[in-house]
Amino acid sequence: MANQLLEVKELSVAYGDVQALWDVSLEVEEGSIVALVGANGAGKTTLLKSISGLLHPITGHILFEGEDLVHLNTKHRVDKGIVMVPEGRRLFQSLTVLENLRLGAYLPKARADYDDSLERVFALFPVLKDRMNGKAGLMSGGEQQMLAIGRAVMARPRLVMIDEASLGLSPILTRTIFDLIVALNVQGTTVLLVEQNIHMALKICSKAYVMKTGHMVLSGTGGELLANDDVRKAYVGERGSRL
Amino acid sequence: MGSLVQVLTNGILLGSMYGIAAIGLSLIFGTMRIIFIAQGTMIVLFAYLVYWSFQKAGIDPYLSLLTVVPLAFVLGLGLFYLLFRKAAALEDRNVSLLLAVGLMYLIDNLILKAWSATPRGLNISYSSAMIVVWGLRVSWLRLALLGLALASAFVVYAFLKKTRVGTAVRAASEDMEATTIQGINSVWVSAISFAIGIALAGVAGVGMATVYSFDYQFGFVFAIKALVALALGGIGNVFGALAGGLLLGIIENLAAYYVGIAWIEIASYGVFMLVLIFLPQGLFGRRALVKKV
Repeated sequence: MANQLLEVKELSVAYGDVQALWDVSLEVEEGSIVALVGANGAGKTTLLKSISGLLHPITGHILFEGEDLVHLNTKHRVDKGIVMVPEGRRLFQSLTVLENLRLGAYLPKARADYDDSLERVFALFPVLKDRMNGKAGLMSGGEQQMLAIGRAVMARPRLVMIDEASLGLSPILTRTIFDLIVALNVQGTTVLLVEQNIHMALKICSKAYVMKTGHMVLSGTGGELLANDDVRKAYVGERGSRL
Repeated sequence: MGSLVQVLTNGILLGSMYGIAAIGLSLIFGTMRIIFIAQGTMIVLFAYLVYWSFQKAGIDPYLSLLTVVPLAFVLGLGLFYLLFRKAAALEDRNVSLLLAVGLMYLIDNLILKAWSATPRGLNISYSSAMIVVWGLRVSWLRLALLGLALASAFVVYAFLKKTRVGTAVRAASEDMEATTIQGINSVWVSAISFAIGIALAGVAGVGMATVYSFDYQFGFVFAIKALVALALGGIGNVFGALAGGLLLGIIENLAAYYVGIAWIEIASYGVFMLVLIFLPQGLFGRRALVKKV
């Protein structure tokens, strides 16, 4: 069996009385890119938030390198290397680019590597270096997405979970962002990707999961799911993007 | 002309108290999203402590800054964890607001019990010392107050801009969840900014003890004044809040001088409402005190 970095086991999560996830399981192999796809409201973001510790499950386990995280808060999970790039980027708009990056490396372990991390981020996203002292909110959508990913890289993540990286971006910028995600992965960071742009996500991932109304309904390699008629009809559409 | 300059000068000096209080309100609003209505009462409480340590031990009010401000900070941390920690996490801000109202009346009445309803004011050796510059008569104590206000603004500004925790405070005031996602303990960050807000009440308490006559009911009035100052200056900017305070002081003094003392409150609340209606972001703010729908 391959070396699983993250194992989610039969996770059930509810918002108050409304259950959002039912016995969801998922595995992310170390060094891989895993895609998580499904329609709006399928529970993808809920799953990512549960893995980050922003939401707490009713039942189930989240294992990271074999250790159960369920009782750890977000801070400790970030410290272990689980970092989320949230949907809508959620940058600190009135802060500068550099301040946003600095907050990404807030915890002592990440702070110790601050200079190296910054160099790595600037190598991946040179535009951030040029915009270093500008306000994050004044950048274009593509640049903001780069900063959101860069901020996560500053935390020295083992696993980056990216929620809707291509949302609101042009096809060309989407391709750029996807190339950068692959580059990040090649450097050794494991990636869990939630995407609306299912066609692209299935192309770069080694494994993919499909969620529907809070349940995990299908999994396989990207190629298998791309070839699956149900998946194509339901999510991929004619030209790939559902946007 | 000379008298107008005198009026403006008095206004600025009077307004520096409002400014300190408004900076505190602004910090607390940043992370808790409520107008901390008990701020004025906290100021009165610290004014009593300053008064008391002067009467009992002869400690100079300005010397008691060294004890009152750290004490206020620690008290702020305690109050946050004891009272506001759970409420601050709720979507509904009303719980925090009601807690603040409860805290205000509780402390008001503790003060009444401890020090009676008699108004207090300090009479120190240099209470009436004046300097005269270019024909302007300026009270030393009020000038010192302006110095305190400026120093407070600079310290808070430097903390927010130059320190790691300060940067996190600014981040949390923009997006609490995104701050948590960075691995930052946003409860601690909120506690720190609340505690600094209360520490500023400590600074203002020293000011109040030296230049005002105060009693147990004075806090609410003062909190409302600070709120007016904050609305004038605008949220999200330390020097804006200070400027709002100075401006309110000027408005009050102009009203008193040109129209009559009875018009002070009418003028300041009139301006308050006009600003909320026509300039909800205040003069220097980045964010509206009242969200536009």
